[in-house]
Amino acid sequence: MVNVLITNLPYLLRGAVMTLWLALAVVTLGTLLGTGLGILATGRSRIVRAAITVYIFVLRGIPVLVVMFLGYYAFPALGFRVNAYVAVGVAQIVYVGAFTAEIVRSAILSVHPGQIAAAKSLGMRRGAILREVILPQATCIAIPPLLNNALTAVKQTAYASVVGAWELTYAAREIVERTLASFQIFLGVMAIYFAICYPLSLLARWYEKRLVVSH
Amino acid sequence: MAMIEITDLHKSFGANDVLKGVSFAVERGEVVVVLGPSGSGKSTLLRCINLLEDWQAGDIRIDGESVGYFDGGRRRAWPEAKAAKVREQVGLVFQSFNLFPHRTALENVMMGPLHVRRMAKPEARKLAGDLLEKVGLADKADQYPATLSGGQQQRVAIARALAMQPKVMLFDEVTSALDPELVGEVLIVMRRLAEEGMTMIIVTHEIHFARDVSDRIIFMDAGAIVEQGPPAQVLASPASERLKLFLRRYQGDYLAV
Repeated sequence: MVNVLITNLPYLLRGAVMTLWLALAVVTLGTLLGTGLGILATGRSRIVRAAITVYIFVLRGIPVLVVMFLGYYAFPALGFRVNAYVAVGVAQIVYVGAFTAEIVRSAILSVHPGQIAAAKSLGMRRGAILREVILPQATCIAIPPLLNNALTAVKQTAYASVVGAWELTYAAREIVERTLASFQIFLGVMAIYFAICYPLSLLARWYEKRLVVSH
Repeated sequence: MAMIEITDLHKSFGANDVLKGVSFAVERGEVVVVLGPSGSGKSTLLRCINLLEDWQAGDIRIDGESVGYFDGGRRRAWPEAKAAKVREQVGLVFQSFNLFPHRTALENVMMGPLHVRRMAKPEARKLAGDLLEKVGLADKADQYPATLSGGQQQRVAIARALAMQPKVMLFDEVTSALDPELVGEVLIVMRRLAEEGMTMIIVTHEIHFARDVSDRIIFMDAGAIVEQGPPAQVLASPASERLKLFLRRYQGDYLAV
């Protein structure tokens, strides 16, 4: 019964490598985008703040699958030919960026106003206050939800298979079509996703413990 | 020329008038204590002097320079960078310390010299070390604020403000959040500063300290100065009913009406 899984494992693992690349790109770029937007969302320009708020609220109200379909069809509609990975990647980056922006924004706002008053009273300028006072404290607050966010993002890459980007889940469906051994194959897929995500969970747990100790 | 000169300062939060035309001056080297019940506008006054609050009318001059607003034509607030220039010269110590929790005591004191004065690190370290020694905390330099007592944290906060070598120091109820046993160590540091000739405005509820250290006491109530004068006179023979009541309550007569 496990034979079919073992025979097809190399193929699944090749899919897993693709999933890893996709996840790495989505998490890194999505987090960078979201962090930038999250910082801007606490800035002085009312127009910028409003625009980011709209972006966050709209994206948070749409299922990631729909965002991906939109991304997949948007490029051709605008006259660009892009491959499925780019379409899926961009859509997921934009999606992850919205959640990240909200985490970063609220982490920055949760830094005690007295901290900013103290920094200002020393004569520190905006940039220095952000760099030396706000961001170091906001980072501590933001890291656990950001890791959680990254976990979700990794798993969401499974949707890529729906628009024809070949990765772990897509590979699994191909094998199932051929072998009809859906249960065994998806059991294997489950184990692989878990193996990818588990280190992230461990990292989050470790960080939380360290945080408790330092306070 | 007065170090600080405030003329007819008006400040409101929405419909709530917090300062209703406050005027006074503080001479170079003078130590002024501001007394008054909660909500009388004392803290807001200090925050205005340090440009942490805006105000609706009136003028604040620091060392001769009118600050906070461009004069002439339409009244317009200074941009943050210009306000920061003034804050460099005016130290403020808060009731709640507001030390940077992610930095050690020494790094807290180095913050201004490093990131405002752009001092080289070894120099800033030397300056911060000297100041911690001055407030009696040389041995706590590498500890984080969370591991220090309230009195120690407040002394680090004073050192942090002094590191900018300000012309004036403002103290906003700096002992109000402390255990009674820890109040003394902070007041001693402040007293030494006063003796060294620092210009200081101190908002406090420590009346004994006010009598010992101040050159003048200003009593505020409901956003206005009710009376002021030398501490001996103001505390021993208050002219206004309001201050008499305030002092009776302070002497432990909690039933005073």
